[in-house]
Amino acid sequence: MPSKKASLTGMRRREELTAWLFITPIVLGILIFQFYPTLFSFYISFTQWNLLTPPKWIGFSNFVELFTTDRFFFNTMSNTATYAVWTVIAGLALGLIFAALLNQEIRGKYVYRAIYFVPVVAPTVAVALLWQILYDPNFGVFNALLRMVGIKGPNWLGNTTWALRSVIFEAIWAGLGFTILIFLAGLQGISSEYYEAAEIDGANAVQKFLYITMPLLSPTTFFLLVTGVIGSFQVFDIPYVMTGGGPANATQMVMMYLYNNAFTIQKMGLAAAVAFIVFAVIIILTVINFRLSKRWVFYE
Amino acid sequence: MSKKWSRRDFLKTSALFSTGALLAACAPAAQPTAQQPAGAATEAPKAAVPSAGVKKIVFSTYVWSNFEAAMTDILNGWKAKTPNVDYEAQFVPQTIDYWAKIQTQVASGTPPDCGMSDYGHLVSYAKNGTLMDITNYIASSKFPIDKSFPGASAQYRWAKGDFDSGAAGGNYYGIPSDAQAQIFAYNKKMFDAAGVAYPTDDWTWDDMLAAAQKITKADQNIWGMEAIPDYILFKGNWVWAAGGAIHSPDFTKSMLADPKTIEAYKWNWDLIYTHKVAPPSGSAGQQNPFMSGQVAMYIEGVWWLTDFANGIKDFDWDVAMLPKHPTTGKRTTTMESDGWWIYQGAKDPDTSWNLLSYMGSPDGQKLFITANDCIPSTYQDVATSWYATKPPDNKSKVLQNINTDSAKVDFTYFEFGTITNAVWPVIDKAFSDGTDITKAMQDADKVMNDELTKAWALLKS
Repeated sequence: MPSKKASLTGMRRREELTAWLFITPIVLGILIFQFYPTLFSFYISFTQWNLLTPPKWIGFSNFVELFTTDRFFFNTMSNTATYAVWTVIAGLALGLIFAALLNQEIRGKYVYRAIYFVPVVAPTVAVALLWQILYDPNFGVFNALLRMVGIKGPNWLGNTTWALRSVIFEAIWAGLGFTILIFLAGLQGISSEYYEAAEIDGANAVQKFLYITMPLLSPTTFFLLVTGVIGSFQVFDIPYVMTGGGPANATQMVMMYLYNNAFTIQKMGLAAAVAFIVFAVIIILTVINFRLSKRWVFYE
Repeated sequence: MSKKWSRRDFLKTSALFSTGALLAACAPAAQPTAQQPAGAATEAPKAAVPSAGVKKIVFSTYVWSNFEAAMTDILNGWKAKTPNVDYEAQFVPQTIDYWAKIQTQVASGTPPDCGMSDYGHLVSYAKNGTLMDITNYIASSKFPIDKSFPGASAQYRWAKGDFDSGAAGGNYYGIPSDAQAQIFAYNKKMFDAAGVAYPTDDWTWDDMLAAAQKITKADQNIWGMEAIPDYILFKGNWVWAAGGAIHSPDFTKSMLADPKTIEAYKWNWDLIYTHKVAPPSGSAGQQNPFMSGQVAMYIEGVWWLTDFANGIKDFDWDVAMLPKHPTTGKRTTTMESDGWWIYQGAKDPDTSWNLLSYMGSPDGQKLFITANDCIPSTYQDVATSWYATKPPDNKSKVLQNINTDSAKVDFTYFEFGTITNAVWPVIDKAFSDGTDITKAMQDADKVMNDELTKAWALLKS
């Protein structure tokens, strides 16, 4: 009869093998479709490659070019940073306000919640095309409403000053439902005992919001902040459909710039370099967010 | 007693199966067998192919409107007419980035045998060895390339080391499939409503502006004309008519700051900001303003004619010759052609050429008319019959313009995509914001000079 120890080791081995079997498909998928392409892309970032001829090693030239002679890189990073700041901050602020309102016991609250979530489930491209029509300077709804009150509306998507603002506004609207949903879940996780205790102590609505809701909601806020920053730096579909990056590159985001370099003018090496610079920026911002979270995120 | 299958067993089996499926999906595709010399035994390929001896080629093209239906008819006609041939068509909707797909196929070593060409990619593709030199095929089969519009066939001719296509002594890397020019379309209903006479062959830019001013009612969203899009201005026609140029003939120097070039651009800029007869550039995806009845006059590509014919129901419209420049008297239209070419990695270049010569011949071009294709032929006589069809009533004016004054489109030189990517935004800003167009052109001139220098260095590398 096998010893108990041998039996346990054998069982552990079988358990381990079973575990590996379960996760092998996903691990293989990650290795083949994410890890290998990432490594290959890293290699390509040090080459000059137009897909038609083999890659030619050029060292750090692509990175040097982006930071020195490239005409558009800093502009696209600036556009993307502006987009990120406004969509994240405004998205969080509006999301919290609307979530707080929708968390009240009002009639039809479930209908309102569904309405606010519709833009999230609607196809991004369809929504972007719809907003193109709304923004049209001649027959769009926004300028028609402004004309009714005697104001000549701007050329929302055709003017370099207004185009980025218009794209940001649409993005905030499109993403609001998701932020509201997450905040709602966070709000509903806060025990009512805190509010009851605060009411006994004489706290008003603002004080309750500032000293109970905000701190207890901080983990949710932190999650939305981190994912929002990461997502906003990777935006592609909304500006691509609405403006194609124009007018005059006023709405060109860094992912579109990467795409143009790779597939329009066949500079795969430069595009790969852009990808890794953006990756580094996102990592740095995420690390900063995590470090700062120790000061304002409270986990019970 | 049989062992009951536990949940763990089911999951283990599923994991094994998924892993196997994943590995099978990642296995490289079976490659077609290599071409054997004539007379040698040919191994039947593993893919589902008709009988042994049938030569199957892969043909690739992007498609739009009814072009896919037209192409399918043509390919089936070729297959019916030619013994022992077959094809696999790769039709890619035009909305998808076709050239990204082709470049990816080339990079992976699996290009199609032949397919749609693009004059803008010809120089870089030929330089990098992506395309097959088909000069010998053209000569040995006596293909009538000299009968196509000169501006069309020039785009597929390139001499090694040249910055641009079109050199007289160059080799052919493709054949033109059509000949596209610019059209000048006008809305008769809007002209009638404003009491303005229709355009004539004697019209100049001044006449066009005067008509636009009479027609425009900006507060009602009624506009005299659409400003010519920047990509059409950069193709050259309007600039050449004014006596200007985008660059020097040897491509070493930009001419965007040349006064005559600036004149052509400013004339368009003035339509929006000075005379206010053209709507400001708005969202990229709005419906064609001519088709929606917003603008009375429209200058764009001939490829719009079929869409206009099928889509415009609310008003009568027609085309006229491009108005002449008031000083030079020129009315140059650009000549650009899609076409066909054979990829260097083609498994069966002979059969590929057989298909190309079938489609590209005058008889083949007639089939496109029968199939209701929207782009006119590259041959004068075949094009004449296409231009004789209606609507519009005066479609033949476009051909008359081509025969009067046309030139190879200026979109064919090496790295023009990179150069225009750099230059256009500088000019676009003036068109979008109404800022000083002359300064914008001068700034764009500097950018273009920088980019030309880089492009020459890349060509020589």
